Amino acid sequence: MYWGGNPAECHPRHFTKYALMPKSKFLPRGRKDRTAVLVDIRPTKSAKAADIFLQVRPGKDFELITILRALIKDQKVSEEAVAETGITLEQCTDLIERMKKAKFGCVFFGMGLSMTRGKHMNSAALLTLAAEMNAFTKFVAMPMRGHGNVTGADVIMRWQTGYPFGITFNRGYPRYNPGEFSTVDVLVRGDADAAFIIGADPGATMPQPAIDHLARIPTIVLDPHVTHTSNLAKVHITTAPAGIAAPGTAYRMDEIPLPLKPALKSPYPTDEEVVRRIKQAIVKKPFWMPEGAQMTAAQV
Amino acid sequence: MTLTVVNNATCTFCGCVCDDIELHADETRILKAKKACVLGTAWFLNHTVERKYPDALIDGKEATLDEAIEAAATHLHAADMPLVYGMSNTTCEAQRECVALADLLGGLLDSHTSL
Ligand code: SF4
Repeated sequence: MYWGGNPAECHPRHFTKYALMPKSKFLPRGRKDRTAVLVDIRPTKSAKAADIFLQVRPGKDFELITILRALIKDQKVSEEAVAETGITLEQCTDLIERMKKAKFGCVFFGMGLSMTRGKHMNSAALLTLAAEMNAFTKFVAMPMRGHGNVTGADVIMRWQTGYPFGITFNRGYPRYNPGEFSTVDVLVRGDADAAFIIGADPGATMPQPAIDHLARIPTIVLDPHVTHTSNLAKVHITTAPAGIAAPGTAYRMDEIPLPLKPALKSPYPTDEEVVRRIKQAIVKKPFWMPEGAQMTAAQV
Repeated sequence: MTLTVVNNATCTFCGCVCDDIELHADETRILKAKKACVLGTAWFLNHTVERKYPDALIDGKEATLDEAIEAAATHLHAADMPLVYGMSNTTCEAQRECVALADLLGGLLDSHTSL
């Protein structure tokens, strides 16, 4: 199942290399052994690849997921509630039957789910649906990640701090609170007084008030290109593009680490090298925490 | 000019991170990216090793790498609430350094995921 994502255009090889086509021991006929369902607000190119397309009303994902959660437990749902989602009760029960009959179900969800009305509540509901499906069969849910190694960022932050994003170290140890420490909120409120941006271009993607704040404070950018953010930054450093001219590791969206095999040699230093050198330059300055506080091994 | 072929190269343009790409490259650019999709091919073929950009910019003016590193360190050290953000299009090795940097600064640390 794909929910609120358009892999045909955003992850072009997802069908062929991973999710729909591959033949395996348990699915010897490949695509023929699978049922593909797409839930989205409009029939995208991906709809052609799906056996079933369910067109949900915009902003009604949470309601639809909740109805499915009720139906798998044979609870009653009112006709009107179902009608509001744009999907019929027959379609819902048919879907539930198929999900229960599946040997191994996987639902991939995209930004159409996680970035629209309800946001992380939608993702949470879908993850719960997948968890509850395990009373009947094996079922998992996975976000469709874009942007190269964003999965790696989650994994590395989890490994080093215990949290995947939205972290602050301002008490000397990591704390996690998205909404308070997440970047857009921090910038829109005008909290941060310097920004270090690497492998991202918030100047092109973030809401305008956040961009305005980046332009007000000293912003430092590391990027292979001079980006929108570089143009409003105090300092820009050109680095070698990862995977093309810089070696290292990247995580696939299912959290499998893969080595990068650069084909070119860059005249620019790698991100890793530049960040380490900035870190070393900061270590030479007085430590920000008052007396008695100590640096941890990871900082040096 | 030497032509190199890299087998099973990894594409990091999207989250699929396909690791079966066959890259044909000369010394300055990638000429062919076999098995990659349209997005991946465009990404591989778009980069060259030419010096298209200055090593660094400070206030929009060209600067050396050393000057830029020192300037970056000074600004980040002087801040009360510095933010380390992004880490999508980079390696895990660099991400680890970023976590250490945020830790050292007592700052904020966040990625694309929070958007
Ligand atoms: S080849 Fe295409 S599908 Fe594979 S990682 Fe690159 S952009 Fe994504």
